[in-house]
Amino acid sequence: MRGFHLAVFVPFVLSAQEDKELVPVSSTYAITNVNIVQSPGRRIDRGTVVVKNGLIVSVGKSVTLPSEAIIIKADSMFVYAGFIDGLTRAGVNKPKDENKDKVKDPGNPPPDKAGITPQTEVRSFLNSSDKALEELRSIGFTVAQVVPHGNLLPGHAALVLTGGSSTDAMLISNKTALYSELTGAGSVYPNTILGVMAKWRELYKQAAQAKSYESVYASNRVGLERPVADKTLEAFYPVVDQRMPVLFRSEKLLEIHRVFSLKTDLGFPLIIADVKEGWPIINKIKSSGAKVFLSLDLPEELKKEKEKKAETRTPAQVEKEALEKRKSEAIANYTSQAAKFQLAGVPFGFSSMSAKPKDIPSNLRRIIAAGLSEDAALAALTTLPAQLLGLSDRLGTIDNGKMANLVVSDKPYFNEKAKVRYVFVDGVLYTIDVKEAKKSDSNVKVEIEGKWSTVAQTPQGNTEGKLILKKEASGYSGTISGGNLPAPADLKEISVEGNVLNYKYTLNFGGQPLNIEVEAKVDGDGFKGTVTAGQFGSFPIEGTRDPKK
Amino acid sequence: MLIFLSSMLTNTWSQVERGSVLIKNGTVLTITKGILESTDVLVKDGKISQIGKNIAVPAGVKVIDATGLYVMPGIIDAHSHIALDVINENTNAITPEVSTADVINPFQVIIYRALAGGCTVSHALHGSANSIGGQSITLKHRYGTYDPEMMKMEGAPRTIKFALGENPTSHGRRDGLQPQTRMGVEFVIRAAFTEAKAYDEKWNTYNKNKLVKGFRGAPPAYSYRYETLGDILKGKIILHCHSYRADEINMMLNVCKDLGIKNLVFQHTNEGFKVAPELAAGGAMASVFSDWWQYKLEVYFSTAYNAAILVRNGVVTSINSDSPDLIRHLYHEAGKTQKYGGLSDEEALSLITINPAKQLGIENRVGSIEVGKDGDLVIFKNHPLSIYGVPQITLVDGIVRFDREKDPADMRIFADPKDALDVTLHKSGHDNDNCMQGTEFLFGSFDSDLD
Repeated sequence: MRGFHLAVFVPFVLSAQEDKELVPVSSTYAITNVNIVQSPGRRIDRGTVVVKNGLIVSVGKSVTLPSEAIIIKADSMFVYAGFIDGLTRAGVNKPKDENKDKVKDPGNPPPDKAGITPQTEVRSFLNSSDKALEELRSIGFTVAQVVPHGNLLPGHAALVLTGGSSTDAMLISNKTALYSELTGAGSVYPNTILGVMAKWRELYKQAAQAKSYESVYASNRVGLERPVADKTLEAFYPVVDQRMPVLFRSEKLLEIHRVFSLKTDLGFPLIIADVKEGWPIINKIKSSGAKVFLSLDLPEELKKEKEKKAETRTPAQVEKEALEKRKSEAIANYTSQAAKFQLAGVPFGFSSMSAKPKDIPSNLRRIIAAGLSEDAALAALTTLPAQLLGLSDRLGTIDNGKMANLVVSDKPYFNEKAKVRYVFVDGVLYTIDVKEAKKSDSNVKVEIEGKWSTVAQTPQGNTEGKLILKKEASGYSGTISGGNLPAPADLKEISVEGNVLNYKYTLNFGGQPLNIEVEAKVDGDGFKGTVTAGQFGSFPIEGTRDPKK
Repeated sequence: MLIFLSSMLTNTWSQVERGSVLIKNGTVLTITKGILESTDVLVKDGKISQIGKNIAVPAGVKVIDATGLYVMPGIIDAHSHIALDVINENTNAITPEVSTADVINPFQVIIYRALAGGCTVSHALHGSANSIGGQSITLKHRYGTYDPEMMKMEGAPRTIKFALGENPTSHGRRDGLQPQTRMGVEFVIRAAFTEAKAYDEKWNTYNKNKLVKGFRGAPPAYSYRYETLGDILKGKIILHCHSYRADEINMMLNVCKDLGIKNLVFQHTNEGFKVAPELAAGGAMASVFSDWWQYKLEVYFSTAYNAAILVRNGVVTSINSDSPDLIRHLYHEAGKTQKYGGLSDEEALSLITINPAKQLGIENRVGSIEVGKDGDLVIFKNHPLSIYGVPQITLVDGIVRFDREKDPADMRIFADPKDALDVTLHKSGHDNDNCMQGTEFLFGSFDSDLD
């Protein structure tokens, strides 16, 4: 199973009183007999990678292993440079609940209420133990560009590692871009894209003017009005100077057009990220010199229904088929976006901002199936984002001297059955648990037949019910009563898998049918789980077996 | 900044799709130069290049046979909100700095439907939530483009939306701010322009002093808002003012006279008939509904004779839609003025062609069929003012953008994969009455009460 083997026997001393974190035995690792993909197109079969103190120190077919190296037997596995994410909020805490006082003059709100806080640094919100960060890391991402939460101008982006002992240890580079979204403030100015576009232009022009006057003042201050500090405008100065890009989240086609309209009007360096609908304007993107990070989120595939025979199709069915065909074509545009960028010779990275990490490997496979070559996909995860973010000297490939950011998967990464086994972030090893999909312990057998009293905790209070389950020749039957039910309702789809109980029933809610689903883990005479009430959400539910009389 | 804008202008000009076509043998309703029977109209590279009989077909130019059909200029809707993603930035009473040019959506199918109604140009207005609303954009219905820039009518003058009456005051009452009454609306407008004038003076002083050798000083604060108000005072922006009642129309005429604002068009103006002579004397124009009123108190006192009365008093009048429904049959709306007011054919058609063109400052480009104007044309079966009139083909810049013979079922340009499948053909036949579809829940509760 695990190829973990201590090459050196080290006696360790445990402190009896304190629970101190153990210092790792060694910070030298050797990944042996692994297929090394140094960069797209550069491969060493069955070689060794040695990392030491956070750096890659040797890469090759036969390499002398340092005596202190912890050996990771990665026979027939594949190692790649750790992936780089162009835009995400993984690892970023939300700001604490601000003052919710109503703004007196919605047309003239304080900047923070208007979503205008460009001076904020994401550094203040970093969280190295964020679950989202762990999820990204587990699929191979080792570096990410992260931004603060917010609306129009939430603050500055930073480049971070997807792991680290502290937030300082996470930080690679601070204030890498000024982040912005074309998002309104809610109920104050600027509320809509109309206000947002005008406000952006005004802020930029005001910043350019303030910066220009500040340098006039600095050269000779006598006799000149003192410029008043404005932290909102100051945040724009490096952008006005063309030393810092604006990182714009622009998912949809019209958003991208509007962002480009600002760039044309104001002339700032631009990175567009989380792009979903970029294919109609690849030429405009190419000629503008803007940097691109495409979204790893894709629309769901249309479920294919059985084709009906021509004679039995009604006009409605014919129309439905035409609409479905159109929808499939539309979805294909999204999956083939990356391939089109590759064809047009526009370099790009990827952004996980709107994607769920568990969907990313399968989405990458869909993108590859739609025409992006595997080499190009790997480049978009490693060498290209390193280039776009100015990190090529130390990240993006497996070469001596580069940072020890690596991802080891048991099969080629883009293979359907591949699983990531190890990830190195800054030379720190993370072993990824390879869990099987089953949530239940299949060895445990539970008895569910009988009468149960249930309590569901909803925002409206606790709802009680009485559940009766009876074992049948095949499966189970049962009823639920009490709560909102005028009469006992029959249970549908009752199933038990290991110790997990599932059942469904339908309520009549104001004349509309409402589907209720319960999934709970059974433990002896009790169960605990979740009840989902249609679109109203999920709530905790507990059941206790009625004592047998 | 100006250099920037003019270079952008030439860019759009060169990229706009333009076509050539020869429309043969139709009854040409020129609007400005009478009716020409059995006449050809040649459009070359988007411009009308020749009007006459038996024009030779240039090589490679498509021919449309309009024998027995009517050819009129593309219809212009001076009050519309189609093709916009947002209509109102309603968080402040004064927002002249925003512009609907920033929120154009070229994918809305309503653009195609407007073309099916012969409408080739629409004035995409900001809403009426604010006393001083946002700048607006004149659009050409170039349906099929993916680029919102291509929808803009290049070279069209700037316009802006003001609003009087119940709409802006209701927002004031909601927020506890000015304006809450019609008096407040007048004050808000006057105060804004007073501040804009002060802003302008500060900048004029600074710009003058800057040229003096050895000058050292701080520039005044930059305000996009006051810059725009200043442009209105300098006559660079046509002011379109949403209004209904005669008292507020009078008020606005006085305000504009005091401020020297000459380019003024009143929108809706349901009580315009009461102050028609004053409107004419003030050089103001009016864009009205054919017969839409009593949907709120300030629209109570209205008449279907409004347009005709305004025309007879010398006010340049247009009929608009302010509606994704009416925009599809503005030719019939115009026809109503023949029953209510006895306008002639030419007068009635002017209400939807050359007059709205004047109100948008584009009368040198569109609104009539004359050599040199844009190839924006509609071919009608039966006279447009006849109840039997139906647009057959609509051209914009010489490109056919609508053809009744080639009208596919799915005209979406950009299909959104998240859109639900909207199947319009339900079960045909009458075994199942679909009239009450979706209302079952109304009857469910009755059942349980009867228990």
